[in-house]
Amino acid sequence: MTRRATTSRRSFLKTGLAATAAVAAPGRLTAQSAPGAAKTIRAVMHGDLTVLDPIWTTANMSAYHGAMLYDTLFGIDANLDTKPQMVSKWGASDDKKTWTFELRDGLKFTDGTAVTTDDVIASLRRWAARDGAGQHMMQRVADIAKKDDKTFQFILKEPYGYLVDALGKTSTPLCYIMRKKEAETNPMEKITAYVGSGPFIFNETETRQGVRYVYDRNPNYVPRSEPASGLAGGKIAKVERVIFENMADSQTALAALQAGEIDFYETPPIDLIGQLEGDSNLTLEVLNKTGNIGWLRMNFLHPPFNHVDARRAMLYLLDQEDYMKATFGNAKYYNKCASNFGCGVPMENDANTGWFKEAPNPAKAKDYLQKSGYKGEPILLMQATNIDFMRNAADLVAGALRSIGANVQVASSDWGGVVNRRAVKAPPDQGGWNLFITWADGNAVSNPIALAGHAATGEKAWFGWPSDAKNEELRDKWAVAGSLQEKQQIARALQENAWNFVPHVWLGQWVAPTARRKNLTGMLAVPGVVPFWNAQKA
Amino acid sequence: MGAFIIRRLLSTLLVMGLVGVFIFLLLHLSPGDPAAIIAGDNATPAQIEAIRTSLGLNDPLHVQFGRWAVRVLNGDLGISIFSNVPVATLIGQRVWPTISLAFTTIVLAVALALAAGVLAAWKAGSLADRLVMILSVVGFSVPVFVVGYLLIYVFAITLRWLPVQGYSPLAEGFWPWASHLILPSIALGLAYVALIARITRTAMLDVLAEDYMRTARAKGVATGPMLFKHALKSAGVPIVTVVGIGIALLIGGVVITETVFNLPGIGRLVVDAISKRDYPIIQGVILLFSGVYVIINLLVDLSYTLLDPRIRY
Repeated sequence: MTRRATTSRRSFLKTGLAATAAVAAPGRLTAQSAPGAAKTIRAVMHGDLTVLDPIWTTANMSAYHGAMLYDTLFGIDANLDTKPQMVSKWGASDDKKTWTFELRDGLKFTDGTAVTTDDVIASLRRWAARDGAGQHMMQRVADIAKKDDKTFQFILKEPYGYLVDALGKTSTPLCYIMRKKEAETNPMEKITAYVGSGPFIFNETETRQGVRYVYDRNPNYVPRSEPASGLAGGKIAKVERVIFENMADSQTALAALQAGEIDFYETPPIDLIGQLEGDSNLTLEVLNKTGNIGWLRMNFLHPPFNHVDARRAMLYLLDQEDYMKATFGNAKYYNKCASNFGCGVPMENDANTGWFKEAPNPAKAKDYLQKSGYKGEPILLMQATNIDFMRNAADLVAGALRSIGANVQVASSDWGGVVNRRAVKAPPDQGGWNLFITWADGNAVSNPIALAGHAATGEKAWFGWPSDAKNEELRDKWAVAGSLQEKQQIARALQENAWNFVPHVWLGQWVAPTARRKNLTGMLAVPGVVPFWNAQKA
Repeated sequence: MGAFIIRRLLSTLLVMGLVGVFIFLLLHLSPGDPAAIIAGDNATPAQIEAIRTSLGLNDPLHVQFGRWAVRVLNGDLGISIFSNVPVATLIGQRVWPTISLAFTTIVLAVALALAAGVLAAWKAGSLADRLVMILSVVGFSVPVFVVGYLLIYVFAITLRWLPVQGYSPLAEGFWPWASHLILPSIALGLAYVALIARITRTAMLDVLAEDYMRTARAKGVATGPMLFKHALKSAGVPIVTVVGIGIALLIGGVVITETVFNLPGIGRLVVDAISKRDYPIIQGVILLFSGVYVIINLLVDLSYTLLDPRIRY
């Protein structure tokens, strides 16, 4: 006899409840194991973390991710001075050609294995293959040698004063130390395991790509004894969990901050700052004091900007005030800056800045443009319409050039389109370009080696491909200089020369205030990275 | 009927194939280079070139297409070129918020719109009718993001009744799930309420003017059963068609709604992928969307046989 399967209301409810419980169980388990709100910081950063390998890309979000889970040999403090981090002792031989470094005691990766010089050397080599400053350094390095598990040496071909600063720089990619296993990955390929020795552990189970990235406190991290300062000092995680929430819409992020759903918002739009200033639950603070510098890049390969007088014309034509006001409005958050290394940094100087005091001088700009042999051929200006500063600045540049009789063609696209076209070396009428606008981190700009755009190595240089032998000679000198005074002196000479051959034109410098709930304290001020150790919630 | 369904399912495969070719060409021929975006702004041309090579983007277009097509035919949608996560995994992680939003929006929109449309038809020319029509015009005209921000301001920031953003899986409780969907569903559903209410009113007006409805009234059939049991069923075909179109249109609407309310759904996944030129994700999601679109149309066609016995396939 077979029994006919029937579904009664009772059995239906039973099955439904059992199924609901089964589906709900994993969620409940997750919720129970998650730290409470007081021990969790929810932060909305400036963008999505798309690449988890902080060496493979120069994206800042990847550097933020790296700072959470990896440690560095050196780090800069709040005064931008380079301090030891994983290193306990270091020193150079008398001829400055052999540098010896010893690792601190107790350094461990989160898988429990000790950090050894094998890990460090493999990490250094991979980083140097990807990083501009690393490549510059490796040209002077004969070998990186292991002495023992805690000691390694840089054997140099010639003295290189920038060595320690390069290892501690915050321009991306930072020199993060990984396990040898990951560090031996081809530098052109991404790592697939994320195990560091830093103050947090990357929680891959809770992370949802494109949604949220979760970091848990590393209970076995051994911090330095000094107080935390920038990326230096004791990196003590004071909360159990930090979550980077990816929120594409700034208005939504602001509302979430006001409602207390998030604790920290890295880049609230300047035009919405007024909305936050009146909220007694929030604090606005500039963490990256060196900010960003807007940048007009000119193509050295094609007329008219292959001629120095056309580039000089741009120096005299543009008034930085216009560019800052158009996008950032509030003068509290921007300044004009004539220094080739940005303002408010050790390399800032006023060498050869007569043009700055004079600009805008359209008559002089027009004279220079005519002297360059410009005959009214189209000047192709690329405009990224999806980024406020780039869109506004391109409109202003086009207007300024037209006011002195130039024939400007604006090629509008999204930033992805600009990024694609700027790599084309062909003439503008064959897919190339004459001008584009971007910006760079102020700390990177302050360093003649760290910013790829400071190089003037012709076809090997950054987009625009400037060429100037004296610039390169002076950059090399700056890199080997020993003292700050010596570096500053060479920086003056670099700037004197730069504003003669004009590799680029600055469009102003601005800082972006961060916004956070008042109960979140201890955020550290440092350019390039937003650290979450030392931060805590009341 | 069986042959019709098989024919339609086969045509779905053809449509998806054509969509695949079209999307692949569109993406690869439009400006934008994922390698340059990955490398960051400070990268040199040599570094970008190295990344292009490592991603296989320097291979001829037909080779890239062939590689992708073979993978898709084997059920592999590829791997995100940014995150290294399989596209199928990403879609799996993101599909539930979108399904939840679409489901609650459609349920809310259809329930409200049918009631409003039937009321407007029944009381044609009255104040209630005019009110429904005015609200329909407003609902259809105001953009989703405006409604969304207004709802957030009132209900999340000022009154603190509901969360501003985010998504809570149903597995973590019904109220957390529902509370995160109420505002997005209203914001997204308003246009559909307007659309469906208007078509319901028109269809119902036609049916209510039929002789058999007059007979029903004369025989003393109560208003409720007359409107909802007899008239609404007869007016069903155009309403179901519009609901079907509405579900398909939702695919576009969820993109904005998911952004405004920070719902981690498929819409945001594809928008983020487009801005980064993450080709495998864009191709995978659009392929999925095209499949959903065709299946919804099929279901709408099949539902006609339930509503109108004269229709047979």
